[in-house]
Amino acid sequence: MTENNNNTIRLLDHEPVGQTVQVVRVMGDGAFRQRLLEMGFVRGAKVTVLKNAPLRDPVEYMIMGSHISLRHSEAAQVEVTDRDAEFCDMEDAYQGIVETEVAAVDPMADNVLRVVLIGNPNCGKTSLFNNVTGAREKVGNYGGVTVDSKEGWFSIGGRRVQLVDLPGTYSLTEYSPEEMYVRTYIRDNHPDAILNIVDAGNLERNLYLTTQLMDMNIPMVVALNMWDELEKSGDRLDIEMLSRLLGARMVPLTAYNGHGVKDVLEATMATIDESEQETKHHNVNYGSLIEDSLKQLGEMCPTLDRYTVLKIIENDQHAIELLDSQSNGLEVKIAAADMRQRIERDYNSDITSIITDLKYGFVRGALAETLTPNPERAIEDTKPGYSMDRLLTNRWLALPILLVLMWLMFEATFTLGAYPQEWIENGIGWLGEWIGKAMPDGILKDLIVDGIIGGVGGVLVFLPQILILFFFISLLEDSGYMARAAFIVDRVMHRVGLHGKSFIPYLIGFGCGVPAIMATRTLENRRDRIVTILTVPFMSCSARLPAYLLLVAAFFTANQGLILMSIYLIGILIAALTAIVLSKTILKHDKTQFVMELPPYRKPTARNATIHMWSKGKQYLQKMATIILAASIIVWALGYFPRHDGQTPQEQIENSYMGQMGKAIEPIVAPLGFNWQMGVSVLTGAAAKEIVVSTMGVLYTGESDATEESASLKEKLQTATKPNGEHVFDPIVAYSFMLFILLYFPCIAALAAIRREAGTKWMVFEIFYTTAVAWIVSFIFYQVVARLI
Amino acid sequence: MTTSGIIQTIVVLGIVAVALLYVLRQVIKTTRGKGDCGCGCGKDCKCNNKPGKEF
Repeated sequence: MTENNNNTIRLLDHEPVGQTVQVVRVMGDGAFRQRLLEMGFVRGAKVTVLKNAPLRDPVEYMIMGSHISLRHSEAAQVEVTDRDAEFCDMEDAYQGIVETEVAAVDPMADNVLRVVLIGNPNCGKTSLFNNVTGAREKVGNYGGVTVDSKEGWFSIGGRRVQLVDLPGTYSLTEYSPEEMYVRTYIRDNHPDAILNIVDAGNLERNLYLTTQLMDMNIPMVVALNMWDELEKSGDRLDIEMLSRLLGARMVPLTAYNGHGVKDVLEATMATIDESEQETKHHNVNYGSLIEDSLKQLGEMCPTLDRYTVLKIIENDQHAIELLDSQSNGLEVKIAAADMRQRIERDYNSDITSIITDLKYGFVRGALAETLTPNPERAIEDTKPGYSMDRLLTNRWLALPILLVLMWLMFEATFTLGAYPQEWIENGIGWLGEWIGKAMPDGILKDLIVDGIIGGVGGVLVFLPQILILFFFISLLEDSGYMARAAFIVDRVMHRVGLHGKSFIPYLIGFGCGVPAIMATRTLENRRDRIVTILTVPFMSCSARLPAYLLLVAAFFTANQGLILMSIYLIGILIAALTAIVLSKTILKHDKTQFVMELPPYRKPTARNATIHMWSKGKQYLQKMATIILAASIIVWALGYFPRHDGQTPQEQIENSYMGQMGKAIEPIVAPLGFNWQMGVSVLTGAAAKEIVVSTMGVLYTGESDATEESASLKEKLQTATKPNGEHVFDPIVAYSFMLFILLYFPCIAALAAIRREAGTKWMVFEIFYTTAVAWIVSFIFYQVVARLI
Repeated sequence: MTTSGIIQTIVVLGIVAVALLYVLRQVIKTTRGKGDCGCGCGKDCKCNNKPGKEF
């Protein structure tokens, strides 16, 4: 062991932009330190300061080819020294592999051939999963998209195989939920093979996880994904030699276009077939001291695999708990503690750093033999997309660009969507008119025209806008810009007490609150999770969009995109205020540190964007044909019965069950400028937010004269009048109504997700809190702001 | 009320009853968190039982 004494040791947060330094050590302890080590902040690793975020914090660093975002306070925990300092211990770390005898297994023992996909976040696991199984699971150019296991099937050589997509993880330690999830899944489900997906352009960091998987003694194949990017870069990799050095089959793959998929699957099946005979499994050689300890401890507990034994030496609490069921558990614990002390004394470091350094040393040594970088390769600054990055994350331009991009997205949703919307509107109007003429008057005709066509048709017309919005979101996600948006606004999130990782659930929340609430599972701290869960519903989900589109189109003639954007921004603002209040009162806690990886810029593909758009469109249509259809029928029936002879349509609906219900809640909603129809619409929206519009469609259709049947809901709202002859809606009422729809309690599915993830107490809190916020904000807008305008 | 009117009323009430039962079933399923991930697609998203591709 040699320590470099000629260079001054400094803290990383003091290094200027453009500086490249070498890591000496990471201070502190616990999850954050472990995560930094896993992401490559190991002794001797070179780290370059790339840029400060527009608000000066966080800072983007490059380490092992990855771009990492760290706040100043977090970078202050990394000690660095000048570049090219010598760390002899790192160079000496590669000591090859050791072989372990592995007993033969019967892959069909549980009647299922099961292969699990494991890899770092954002390395293309779900792309491969979709390609192989024909599924349409969500993929994105940022980590953390998959939070649960997804199962699918494929057939090869007449055999049916189950493929399981697991959440992305940097390692298999015990610190974060996704790591524990993957580790527990492997332990409990005994997969027949691991398909380890690695990013071929970032092998050093990705193969760190491979070294942990090697220790699990499960047959494994390594798929070198994004092989096309490696080839384009001009780097050369000796796959055969790397396979030999790591003792696992390696196959090139380009998952997004399917190149190499069959080879990967064939290699996986060959590896499974080999496991039917007694084989030798290859493990990382950690050097004689640790290898002797592993052997000695392995003999004391023969039922445990090498990975678990190593974890016991590392003082991993979950692994140590497994000893409680062993008769010699105490003896093993004492022996492991002795070994740990001896190793730490010998290496003059702590056990976590030693094992991480040795694993990285192993990977570095193997790559030194096999990877030949292209000497003419462009430096990072001139890589495709990087010149654009300088503009997108520019200190002065980043925030205006973010706002302009959002505005463009909403404006395009309106302007481009207006044409197909008009066609659908005309079609629905024609259908209503045709049925109106073709069918004899009666209750059935009323149900079809007023209930079904009025209700479902009112929501269906917004399908084009939904498709366009998701097309744009998909482009932004796939390009890697969304992660940059998190980088740009990270300081603001930090200020309001939100965790950096909360960005992903918020992003998903613009689509649907349910997967967004589930995505909070990646947050380590329960209080962070609850703050995020309670604020996610303020991110306006796509189900609320039809209501905004209807009201903006009907009552705002200019700046429609801007008005729509303002609603989304108010949602974000209320979420931020809520987070500040919660994190300073009932959910007070220390701020959790977080390392975020910034994905590379990638050209979004039309295929992916179309798949995303289509999947959202399909979900929307499925909802139309099921819950919205059923709810429209019920709303119509409540507005139709009881029947009274000799009443006008207006009187009839006011005396209906729905009318009576609306009149009962009218005093509560009247101060917000709402009539009873609007009050009832927000109530029915509890089942699904699209039902707000379908309810209005049913209630206003029922109110209209027969001659107006072909008029669109927009026109009906524009002409709706109160008994005193005044218009029901004006821009102020419409905006107040949109604010209420944005903020009031989430739909039943989202509430159920909150109960599952946070508990009944928080679900009840959310119902009352969001409704109170919605009422107060709408009240202030209608009563105060509107008078000032 | 005419015979046609009676038949129409019975059909409509039947449709309303089916719609009501459907909504109730969905609400119960969703609140129990069974069989549906709750995202609105109406399917158990985790369990993909498609035959998948053949290689």
